Amino acid sequence: MGAYDPEVAGLTRDEAEAFVYREARLIDDLELEEWLRLFTEDGIYWIPIDDSKPVEWNTSLVYDPPLRREERVYHLLHVPFPAQAPRSRTVHLVSNVEVAAGGDDAFTVRSNQVVYEVRQGDFRQVGLGEVRPIVARVEHVLRRVDGELRIALKKILLIDREMSQSNLTFII
Amino acid sequence: MAVTGLAARAPARGDLDPDDLVLEGPHTYRVHTRAYTDPAVFEAEMERIFSRTWVYIGHESEIPHPGDYKTAHIGRQPVIVSRGDGGEIHVLVNRCVHRGSVVCRSPRGTANYFRCPYHGWVYGKDGSLAGIAMREGDSGYSEHFAAPAGLMRVPSVATYRGLIFASFNPEVPSIEQHLGRAAFLIDNKIDQSPVGEIALRSDPYVVTYRGNWKFQAENIVDGYHFTFVHEGFIKLQERYGDSTGDFGVHRGRSMAEVRRIRARGVSWGCSQGHGLSAKPVDQIESLLDGRLGDYYRELLERHGPERLAWIAGSGAMSIFPNLGIIHHQIRVWRPLAPDLTEVTVYPYELRGAPDEINQGWLRSQERFYGPAGHGMPDDVEIFALNQQGLDASAVDWLILERGIDSERRDEVGDYEGLPSGETPQRAFWRRWKRLMAEG
Ligand code: FES
Ligand SMILES: [Fe+2]
Repeated sequence: MGAYDPEVAGLTRDEAEAFVYREARLIDDLELEEWLRLFTEDGIYWIPIDDSKPVEWNTSLVYDPPLRREERVYHLLHVPFPAQAPRSRTVHLVSNVEVAAGGDDAFTVRSNQVVYEVRQGDFRQVGLGEVRPIVARVEHVLRRVDGELRIALKKILLIDREMSQSNLTFII
Repeated sequence: MAVTGLAARAPARGDLDPDDLVLEGPHTYRVHTRAYTDPAVFEAEMERIFSRTWVYIGHESEIPHPGDYKTAHIGRQPVIVSRGDGGEIHVLVNRCVHRGSVVCRSPRGTANYFRCPYHGWVYGKDGSLAGIAMREGDSGYSEHFAAPAGLMRVPSVATYRGLIFASFNPEVPSIEQHLGRAAFLIDNKIDQSPVGEIALRSDPYVVTYRGNWKFQAENIVDGYHFTFVHEGFIKLQERYGDSTGDFGVHRGRSMAEVRRIRARGVSWGCSQGHGLSAKPVDQIESLLDGRLGDYYRELLERHGPERLAWIAGSGAMSIFPNLGIIHHQIRVWRPLAPDLTEVTVYPYELRGAPDEINQGWLRSQERFYGPAGHGMPDDVEIFALNQQGLDASAVDWLILERGIDSERRDEVGDYEGLPSGETPQRAFWRRWKRLMAEG
């Protein structure tokens, strides 16, 4: 990635940060319909196990093109299921935001994120009331669509992505 | 993953009489809470089950060439599964015979030898001791030194259609005897490949849950839970069907339809402890004329219509004690503690099948399994709830009696039952009880 020059890139770090912060807030507030609208028409939400392998031949923790992303949000908002009954609460902490120019009108924004998650409900029960940190490097590929920044790709590289996981049935 | 320690539990009774733990009668089948919670039961299982019977440790495609290796576990014993120069498979305990350090640190790789990181003893691909560092000299080993032969070898190793099993029991019966009727279902799964071979290519999913290992062994062939635990998934099927990548695996787009479809088929409880369920395809014509017709016609030519109905149908297996096969995956469960289990899901591909099929089934599994899937997290959530429920030790028994009056015992000693009965689970416990009684 070349040295960042905001004049050339057309995206300042302030604007990039504001965008990523807002996205994080929408997720934490469970404004997931609104979150869906942040993506481009062909945007991808991706949590790989190994991002060096072709996605078609390797499972990802999440690989969501638009319809799958819509399904995930529908599931979370409208369909009760054991792994989210009770629900998770999350708080995203975003730092180390850097911007680099991508090709044609695309920008790559990198950040480090710690997502704290806790299942609500009777905290005396197993799995509830335990605050868990989920630690990741996040890469957003953003595009301007009709003047608005949109997510063409959100790639989340968990630091323990190929290791044993527990419940990840919420948006990261 | 951070996991809190074992909950404080009542001290175990010294005696372990399996008759106290599994209650059997003509119309009765109950399992005692302690069978899932008691640390003494868990310790006994590691010896009497995991050290006595065959345990699945990997697939040949994970170590295709000489020098390839992977690590695995037989119960709590860590092993290296290594491919020797002649293509043979060695299963070696991953502990240096000098002073006990772990020898192999990577989960998989390729090596000409294994070198202990502590004092540099070197072992060949077959585990034989190839070199002792600084052996000579006054501070070295005596000329009478009884050098060990090498890493401890697990005495019994066998493969069935690429699946690798090992056992610490030198007298274990043949793998064919162990698999029994399960071999028929394994064949059906693997013969979905036009060349009759599967390969593990994708990364696996690994999930750890706070429950006993036997919950996973029971659940993978539990027809009763699907419409309850996966009710939300059925709602997704109603709305999205195949459009998000199910690839025709989960049939039925309403609760009523799913119930109807899942009421068909057969389940078996094998004398070796395996639980099996299978549903052959009713009408192979629709497959032959369908979008994947070329693929199915090739299978038809190879196997004939009767086998094709089984091959193209669905099937799930719980192979005693630690292996599951369902959908297009090999699943392995590893007991860590009475209330802690690791599950690994290895999607496999069918060698020689069109890319569209292998990729389609991979996407389908991605949607349902893994820690963020729409199915598996609900199952493991229930396992944790189940374990927690059993902390209420004031209640003694769990009831596993569904379909007990409708199951029939056949000439080889297997039980045949209906799909949402508990025939597979009872078979697990019968074998469990026999092995635990052998002491
Ligand atoms: S413990 Fe392995 S060489 Fe000493
Ligand atoms: Fe399930």
